[in-house]
Amino acid sequence: MIPGNKDNRDGWLFSIPFLLVFVLFMLYPLVYGFVISFFKWNVLSDKVFAGFQNYISLFSDEKFYTSLWHTVEFVLITTPVLLVIGFLMALITTSKSPLKKVAENVFFIPYIFSMTVVSTLWAWIFQKQYGLLNKVIGLVGIQPVGWLTDPNWAMWSVCIATFWWTAGFNMILMSAGIKQISSEIYESAMIDGANYRQSVFRITIPLLKPTIVLCLILQIIASFNVFGQVYVMTGGGPFGKTRTIIQYIYETGFSYFKMGYSAAMSYILFFIIMIVSVVQYISLGRKSNE
Amino acid sequence: MNSTSKTKRIIYAFLLSLLLLLWFFPFVWMVFTSLKIENEVVTKVFHFFPQNPTLANYIKAFSSSKILRWMLNSAFTSAMAMILTLVVDAPIAYAFAKIRFKGRNILFWAVMAGMMVPFQVLIIPLYLQFNSYGLINTMSAVYLPRIALPIGIFIMKQFFEGIPDALEEAAFIDGASRFRIFSSVILPLGKTAFATVTILSFINCWNDFLWPLIVMNDTDKYTITVGIANFQGTHGTQYSLIMSGAVIACIPQFIFYLFFRKKIIAGIAMTGIKG
Repeated sequence: MIPGNKDNRDGWLFSIPFLLVFVLFMLYPLVYGFVISFFKWNVLSDKVFAGFQNYISLFSDEKFYTSLWHTVEFVLITTPVLLVIGFLMALITTSKSPLKKVAENVFFIPYIFSMTVVSTLWAWIFQKQYGLLNKVIGLVGIQPVGWLTDPNWAMWSVCIATFWWTAGFNMILMSAGIKQISSEIYESAMIDGANYRQSVFRITIPLLKPTIVLCLILQIIASFNVFGQVYVMTGGGPFGKTRTIIQYIYETGFSYFKMGYSAAMSYILFFIIMIVSVVQYISLGRKSNE
Repeated sequence: MNSTSKTKRIIYAFLLSLLLLLWFFPFVWMVFTSLKIENEVVTKVFHFFPQNPTLANYIKAFSSSKILRWMLNSAFTSAMAMILTLVVDAPIAYAFAKIRFKGRNILFWAVMAGMMVPFQVLIIPLYLQFNSYGLINTMSAVYLPRIALPIGIFIMKQFFEGIPDALEEAAFIDGASRFRIFSSVILPLGKTAFATVTILSFINCWNDFLWPLIVMNDTDKYTITVGIANFQGTHGTQYSLIMSGAVIACIPQFIFYLFFRKKIIAGIAMTGIKG
């Protein structure tokens, strides 16, 4: 734009610090991990080229399938629930309720606490003998449930703790979206006699669609990466019933030191997340073109 | 008409209070448990309020673990992540926003594609890489992989684009170089965007669990997230003690939240609206 400018030089100079970090801690490990996934490597021993052996073994590894399934299960449970709770919370915090400020804080604060704090707290609430939940349901005469030790309940319990922890994040995204909807639309709908429910379903939800889709994408990616809360609350148990794919990657790499195998698993997970994201982006693009 | 809207209002108020209660109650329970003596916690009798409130658990948490140390470690690594994120990410965000250089678009999309790579996928190669640098079990291992924050670049770029070109052109005419303009015109204007990015980066690093779990081996060097998980593991059924540890671990983040509430929320909202 300015004659004799040095834009080409300056642009790259300004990019250098980031590019160094980007190459060193993102591109390089991405490529390196892919290379490792073709080796049999137990850290202490030498690397041995194994071709597709790691990937082939994966497909007959039952633990891999079950771990992957637990992650998918977690995604399927948490994604819709967290979107709905987040949306309800956003409706509350954008309403005229006198409690909306209080509500916004109460709903959001769990999100800023670290996952391990949240997990230890909920592990205590879910504790079988002395935990709060069993004491409360005991008041109405229900037998104590092993929330974290019963294979039928463990995953649900982890999901409940996760709802409490992260719903506030979706609330913030969605209420920001709702605030962008012009109040005139609601006013004219009111004049035309629309009730609250109609204005939510006919105005808010359709106009909030881009935000909802974004929440969906972020939520699915976040849920696919679930590890910490499960690891702290159940350790993957009972009987491996809640072991997630990240936990299996972690254990394979850092308890059994099978680096190549673990890297191969990471790449399958990466591949799955990529496909899910790409499918979502494409369908999102199509919708916005309509 | 009036009576139905009244019942509706009551139902609405009831649901709201229920949701609020569900979200608020676990905090109360955490604090109350931490104030109870051990015998009161591990009993079939159900007392909601602490019968003999005591701070003994807090004293024990401080003396029997390295919880203060862990918090300092987290504070240090998060602060480093925060500072380095700005140093590294702000210049390229400015370049994307204001400098028309060859390859800008391709570079921008490459960086944004980086956002798609889940960190967890990189843990094995990153570990091996840090191991070969001899950085395992050092503080820098915790924050170094955290400073390339594509979302931060995105936020800052949006912000810089909003700064009128006229400001820079005036400086150009006065003969200022790019670096001069960046440091004396752009940086002072960017405060809001920087605040948002540093806060996101701080939270990001403070709450990280898997990566510090992998790279830190000494209990002395744990971050608070790993420390609390370890604290829970070693104190098994001493729930009131564990809860006091959890409360202590919450305090810095709570203070952080009180100070930066608006910025934190704005940061998250921004990633949503512009993303």
